[in-house]
Amino acid sequence: MRSNAGVIAVTVVALFLGVLAVTQIQAQDVYSRSLQLETPASLTTLIANLSERNNAIKDEILDLRHRTDTAREAIASGTGSLTEAERQLSQLRVFAGMSAVSGPGISVRIEGTFDERALSDLVNELRNAGAEAIAVNTARVGPRSWFGATTDHALTVDSAAVRGPWQVRAVGSTDVMYVAMTRTGGIIGQFQLIYKSTRFDVSRESTLDLPALATPLR
Amino acid sequence: MCDTFHVTTTASPERTRLTHSLVLLLPAVLFGLLVSVQWRTQSDRNELTVRYNTPLLDAAKTLQNEQNTLKAQLADLRAELDQIQTSASTQSGSAKDLQARIDELKLVAGLNERTGDGVIITLDDARGASAAKDIEKSICHNTDLTDIVNQAWRGGAEAIAVNEERIVGSSSIYCVGSTIMVNGTLMSPPFSVVVIGPQNGLLATYDDPTQLRDIKQRRDVYGLGFRVSRASGLRVPSYGGALNVKYATPR
Repeated sequence: MRSNAGVIAVTVVALFLGVLAVTQIQAQDVYSRSLQLETPASLTTLIANLSERNNAIKDEILDLRHRTDTAREAIASGTGSLTEAERQLSQLRVFAGMSAVSGPGISVRIEGTFDERALSDLVNELRNAGAEAIAVNTARVGPRSWFGATTDHALTVDSAAVRGPWQVRAVGSTDVMYVAMTRTGGIIGQFQLIYKSTRFDVSRESTLDLPALATPLR
Repeated sequence: MCDTFHVTTTASPERTRLTHSLVLLLPAVLFGLLVSVQWRTQSDRNELTVRYNTPLLDAAKTLQNEQNTLKAQLADLRAELDQIQTSASTQSGSAKDLQARIDELKLVAGLNERTGDGVIITLDDARGASAAKDIEKSICHNTDLTDIVNQAWRGGAEAIAVNEERIVGSSSIYCVGSTIMVNGTLMSPPFSVVVIGPQNGLLATYDDPTQLRDIKQRRDVYGLGFRVSRASGLRVPSYGGALNVKYATPR
């Protein structure tokens, strides 16, 4: 009897243990990634980011509707839709980094120790802030660009060496990108903590001229 | 329960009791541990899910749903314009030439779906006991994804998608709190990075011990999920977001 009671007790405890272990694993998973557990500050940033993205898509939808109507009318009137095709081609060439471009933006000058992962993070941050075209020194960053390093402390963009001091230039909304870079706790602030002896200068630029990709994409 | 530690005689019934008690001891301790951890998790969650978060949470979810609808509308409009352009390109030689150049650019810019062979990289938070050692090193971060994507381009990738979001020239992999956004779309682990490109070149670049050292070390020590596998017949969707060309003008 005593032995049976022991077995039953162990079984019950083990059962509870199993249920709790599963619950805990699930709780841990949800804890680490659930939107519900984000702080109000994080949620506010997420909302701002989502809102900006949605507004950009809405703008493009309006633009595309107009262009679709114009192209349709042009074809109906027999004039063709060359203008629309040319406009589309021009937009795509900028988007793919195949055109040299001009425009307002910001410049980040980096003098001192820096590495390829940080450069990749900086480019990612600029893209998130709406950069439309980016160049590192004279190397244009394209849709398939990758960053590396050489043994003599140069960085590489698509295997082409770029030597410091580095000038990362981005065309886009000057104010949005400037604030994104320089805000408290932003990427430049983080770099300054990590690369203590490196100097980072961010400046607003009324006009930047960026080259096209050195090697066109295929 | 404490009595059991004092019983060291050879009497058979007492030894049986000791065995039973010891058998129960370990599960009981674990039980208590889990109850306390569970209680703490629950208590943290209650603190965070304050009433002020509810409207923000609703707003975030509404905006994400709106974005999905907007992307579908955008895709329809792009397809409609494509159709008009294609039919117009039959009208003249120059229109045909322009359309061919547009199609080529769309392909390299990520505006068309791609299929082919390549590799799949899976990245996931560590699960189980090893994750408890250091949460920061056990979970995946946006920088892990940017490193993985950078490595894919280095290995000759032609098209990449992270959880069905196409990586293009304007893509960002952003982190707010513990939430990751790719092209402005909210996502959470596990991440599946689908890469179309030369399989041997891609596998070689991921196998290179000098690359992705941090991720590989966290996989080995903290159980971070990171796996690269060869795959055939992959599909990478077209980019569904805005092209966002407002400030840059061609020279």
